[in-house]
Amino acid sequence: MPAVADSFDAFRADLDDYNDRRERLIKASRDITNLSKKVIFLLHRLVLEGATDDPNVALNAATRAREKLRDVQNIYASLRHELSGDRFWRYQRQVSPGLQEYIEALSFAHYLEHGTLITFQQVQDTLCDPDGVPYFPLTVSDYLLGLSDLTGELMRFAISAIARRGGRAKAHQVCAFVRNCKADFERMTPYVRDLSKKQAVTAQSLEKIEDAAYAITVRGSEYDLPQDMLDDLVAQSISRFGIHDDRRRDDKFDDDEGGT
Amino acid sequence: MDPQDLENINALLDRDVELREKIKDQVADLDKKTRTMVGMLNKVHSTRKESIPALVDSVRPVLLSCRETTSALVKLIPENQFWRWKELWSNSLRTAVFAAALMEYLSTRTLITLPQVSELLGIKDEWKDRLLLPVEDYLHGLVSLVNELSRLAVNSVTLGNFEEPIRISIFVKDLFTGFSMLNLKNDLLRRRFDSLKYDIKKIEEVVYDVSLRKLAPPPQSRMT
Repeated sequence: MPAVADSFDAFRADLDDYNDRRERLIKASRDITNLSKKVIFLLHRLVLEGATDDPNVALNAATRAREKLRDVQNIYASLRHELSGDRFWRYQRQVSPGLQEYIEALSFAHYLEHGTLITFQQVQDTLCDPDGVPYFPLTVSDYLLGLSDLTGELMRFAISAIARRGGRAKAHQVCAFVRNCKADFERMTPYVRDLSKKQAVTAQSLEKIEDAAYAITVRGSEYDLPQDMLDDLVAQSISRFGIHDDRRRDDKFDDDEGGT
Repeated sequence: MDPQDLENINALLDRDVELREKIKDQVADLDKKTRTMVGMLNKVHSTRKESIPALVDSVRPVLLSCRETTSALVKLIPENQFWRWKELWSNSLRTAVFAAALMEYLSTRTLITLPQVSELLGIKDEWKDRLLLPVEDYLHGLVSLVNELSRLAVNSVTLGNFEEPIRISIFVKDLFTGFSMLNLKNDLLRRRFDSLKYDIKKIEEVVYDVSLRKLAPPPQSRMT
């Protein structure tokens, strides 16, 4: 039966093609994850370097992050033919991890710039060619899971900003924002695989921010001073430590990142 | 979250849930049909050689009735979304491949091709972004075929058909050679392929028993 050998030859080609493409997409996804992680670090760094109450700092950070994220968008553009037609869904599981990390970075930049959650369409728009044709269809599940990771970044952002001028107000804002996110995602949890796990992490992050906000309120109440004056008071005592304190704060921040 | 966006996303999620339910209904139907076939084909182990064509003929209408299910299924699947939903019916489809392959073997002693199975199940070429028979599922069906044939080798001897094990042995070895040509990754198909050697061993033992006792005709008169 030479026919058997012939058809198995064709099957081998088919399976090899599938496996090779799968490997390529896994590699690309890993690259995208790396690039996106770097953007997230960059955002934290830029925001920490500038004054908390200067809106331009966040704006400038978001702009620089967007530039970096263009590298990721270029990778997606180059993967376009690997994901065309019915292929996208065949390889969706290989694409997801990188895509979620990208959405996390993108939504973080978006939050810093606008103070809002990036919409589904806005994410899809960043993954389109100049004619507005999507490289591949964005899935609701990747969108939600990517946003779910954002809450962890916001927690870090709020906590590291807390000791700075205007940081307490910021922490309260972030706290309310994350709380809303968590509430919105709750209804979708049964429909999206893995979302419930991420919701648990979000709950933890939220609790950390809430605890921090609590500590501020309690301690703030001991001094009957307006927020601005408190800020000045803290800033004064910090400035006495100067450079040393800065370094210590950076170390703490790095530890935070390393721990996740 | 933006209220409009929240509404859209909830609508999308609800739509997917609804679609999944509809697909599941069709899959349940397909499942029922394939199980019926397997049940009927099970009789092959207790059917004498001369009655096998009649048995196969009785199963054929059930196999062909799967066409109704596939055409109902393809209407549900959105464009380009075959791979998104295929897990829902993979098992049923593999069973259908198995049934079709066993029927073909019993009728012609040859291996059914992938396009032949697609044709029998009414899966059309132009559906390929919504419904197709993937190589992997076809191969799973063939592994099940080998599993079944190793049983048939034993049972046909019990029924006094001493040539069958030899035919099966030749057929299965050929198929095994085909499988050996594939670069399988470490997944279920690979594990099932690895287990084929036990089936082959079993078939070889039957062939050995039959040959040793000169129950089967000598090699030169054997059909291949």
